[in-house]
Amino acid sequence: MSESLTKKLGNRLRGVVGDAWVIADADRLLAYESDGLTAYRRTPRAVVLPQNTDEVSRVMGILSQEGVAVVPRGAGTGLSGGALADGDAVVVGTARMTDMLKLDPENRLARVQPGMINANLTAVAEPYGLYYAPDPSSQSACTLGGNVAENSGGPHCLKYGVTSRYVTGLTVVTYDGSIVELGGFGREPGGYDLLGVFVGSEGCFGIATEIEVRLLPRPEGVSTLLAIFDRLSDAGSAVTEIMAEGLLPAALEIIDGATIRAVEASVFAAGYPTDAEAALVIEFDGIEAGLAADVERAVIQCREAGAREVRTAASAEERLALWRGRKKAFGAMGQIGNDLMVQDGTVPRSKLTEVLRRIGEIGARHELLIANVFHAGDGNLHPNILFDRSDAEELSRVELASTEIMAVCVEAGGTITGEHGVGVDKRRYMSLVHSPDDLDAMRRIKAVFDPLGCMNPGKVLPDPPAVDGAAS
Amino acid sequence: MNPLAGLLSERLSEAQVVDGFEAERWAVCGRVPQAVVFPESEEQVAEIFSVSREEGWSCVPGGRGSWLNGGQPPQGVDVVVSAERMNNVTAYEPADLFIEAQAGAELEAMERRTSECRQWLALDPPGGERGTLGAMLAVGTAGPLQAGFGSPRDQVLGATLVTGDGRVLGLGGRVVKNVAGFDLLKLITGSWGTLGMITSVTMRLHPVVAMDRSLLFKSGDVASGAALACRLAQTPLQLAAVELLVPGDGESGASGGASSPLVAVRILESVDAADEAERVVSERAGMPPFQRLDEEKSAAIFANVRAMEDGAELVLRLSLLPSRLPELVEMTSRLSGLHDPTAGWGMRLAAHAPTGVLRVMIAGMDRSDEWVDRATSVLVDLRRSLEAEGGSLVVSQGPPELVGAVGAWGESGSSALFSAGIQAAFDPASILAPGRLAQ
Repeated sequence: MSESLTKKLGNRLRGVVGDAWVIADADRLLAYESDGLTAYRRTPRAVVLPQNTDEVSRVMGILSQEGVAVVPRGAGTGLSGGALADGDAVVVGTARMTDMLKLDPENRLARVQPGMINANLTAVAEPYGLYYAPDPSSQSACTLGGNVAENSGGPHCLKYGVTSRYVTGLTVVTYDGSIVELGGFGREPGGYDLLGVFVGSEGCFGIATEIEVRLLPRPEGVSTLLAIFDRLSDAGSAVTEIMAEGLLPAALEIIDGATIRAVEASVFAAGYPTDAEAALVIEFDGIEAGLAADVERAVIQCREAGAREVRTAASAEERLALWRGRKKAFGAMGQIGNDLMVQDGTVPRSKLTEVLRRIGEIGARHELLIANVFHAGDGNLHPNILFDRSDAEELSRVELASTEIMAVCVEAGGTITGEHGVGVDKRRYMSLVHSPDDLDAMRRIKAVFDPLGCMNPGKVLPDPPAVDGAAS
Repeated sequence: MNPLAGLLSERLSEAQVVDGFEAERWAVCGRVPQAVVFPESEEQVAEIFSVSREEGWSCVPGGRGSWLNGGQPPQGVDVVVSAERMNNVTAYEPADLFIEAQAGAELEAMERRTSECRQWLALDPPGGERGTLGAMLAVGTAGPLQAGFGSPRDQVLGATLVTGDGRVLGLGGRVVKNVAGFDLLKLITGSWGTLGMITSVTMRLHPVVAMDRSLLFKSGDVASGAALACRLAQTPLQLAAVELLVPGDGESGASGGASSPLVAVRILESVDAADEAERVVSERAGMPPFQRLDEEKSAAIFANVRAMEDGAELVLRLSLLPSRLPELVEMTSRLSGLHDPTAGWGMRLAAHAPTGVLRVMIAGMDRSDEWVDRATSVLVDLRRSLEAEGGSLVVSQGPPELVGAVGAWGESGSSALFSAGIQAAFDPASILAPGRLAQ
């Protein structure tokens, strides 16, 4: 049960943001009970929607005076339960902070509010021949503030890197309402890289209220191919061989047979053959004159690895068609299963084939349908486990399988999450990859930014070990 | 052996500790340590830190010693801890495009090892090839290739750190995408040894591309060179580097040509794409390059850029937004009185046009008290002007008396609130290079 917002606290918050922007009635709070990971649901005490840094600072000042925990939230598309708020916490949302504050095409920089949608930034930069590189699959819905919190990736970070490489400055508000400037392009004053450690801190350090990012010149040309395989392991070998050739595609994405069939059975059908066991999407970008040679080498590698068919896109529409099956895979799976648990482990590229085989075995052992769609080029897996939340016994098998999949990734030299974040979902598994000392160091750093432990509590870090046998 | 060195050799071994005249070349900002110690494992580093906490010594972590004169002079220098003897490559998986080595491994050794598999570490920090991996990360400085590949912080995948309180932390991992917890790797990159000693590093590698080509454009004077560099940095292509190079007095240009300013554009592409990039860049320059250097020659000119700080007595890093490079270069005229025009090569400039960072290297200074006073006031004024415009001035290397007076680092603003807490989280007893980094 959520603790209701006291009249006094509600009035103080309304005094800052206006009556319409404090949400406390149960019906409207339902929209905030989960993020993109719907297996976890909780209702916050209230939601506050400020519209600029100053309002965020005043809201946080009030909440910290009252000792109320704060959960930052962007569009709620996260996949690890990072925006989940317990009944005693107040959500501070960025839905009204969507402005472009400054676009500086000459220096290829943009300063935006955190609620701006990822794809909108590219749309605004487009007329100047620029774009924003990190492109999570949810880019038409997710916010840049959320991207900063999660250090988001996307298909094209194989070549271009993740969010942290593009964020050059932040204005952040900490729990006590202090406004702090971190970084800033055009200056290198020395001191710890606080900007770097803030990116990916999942709302546990503060709220970013202004974001300065670097934009890139739009590549002159793009070439996309789709290779179809009868065996998933052959697609994995093709990825290894393409990288070994010294090619650096902008994206290398695999969708497996189960996913292909889900896509083709859905409204998102993309024309992939349903008897195939893997489809590999390969994209090159850069100077037009250099692309043909790269494509030719990639086609050879695919054929040698056993591709039965390689399609190339000749136009922008054809390119979108080749991508459609990959981009709509999550949506398609939502149509065939009631619920979806997506895992996010990363493994060294050379271990892909073996890890996929073991994931297949885990699915079979627990009698679960696991569909894989993943960023093969950087070894970032997305096994999707389909299940029905109302079936408690099945849910327990999903949890077992998830745990085993993460253990397999770690054993192969990888990690438990490549881009979705830890949130509430994976905090139990942090000790698979981190020693008690590592976790303790993270706790100490969180305490530097948030000494009272009230920023997004219960996320990322597992509870500290109990002392003297007392329950934690 | 002095008592301090004696105690350390009891805890480790005599062969791992030097003192006296042998410690002289390990001076930190002019201060010779009482001992230099060469641990061979994380356990030994932790042991050294443990003794230091008991005895109240200040430790300065280092590699081969190239950066010991950089940064703010620390408040105390009792022990230099060198990673030199921890220099093995511990894992190299060409298919996975990463290399993992102990912190004392030299960048040159990495280069040799990875080039066999047509891969490379796409970084060119100042200081030449004999620098170590650990020092590169601890200093965190990028060179011209930052434009195309990012800085060390963008390319480090993992590291092992022995903290001031003796804990051994495994940070990051071996994979490119990793968001399992807070990104503490970012904190140790550029931390100048104040959080702990880096003992191993895992770096991302890149495939070697078919063509390494540098185009050199000459300009009549520094101002037009800066304007050209600025214009070329805005070419709508992803160029690997765009560098403005201004040689010192009487020096030949980096290419062996005349001593006029140069703009060097580095292109790393397939052969066909390199030809096209050359066409686009030349068109934008409004002239053909006076020289085109391919392959080894292209790499060689940028190796010279890395080595440009050699022999300099004062190295400054000035920055402003890239579009203001001409103004930034113009501001260096304020520094012209700091060197003796009759001695040495005077002042060299090298600017990373796409990031707006200008390095100023000065040699031939008299270093008298009067000079220190004058240089202090010039640098303090210049820093004030740059900070007012959103830029910065860092004294990267210089005479300790000058660096002490000016301060190596600039204004770090409200974020300074967190710095002390972060240092205390890793080094609560404050034994690690206290005062070396902006507080």
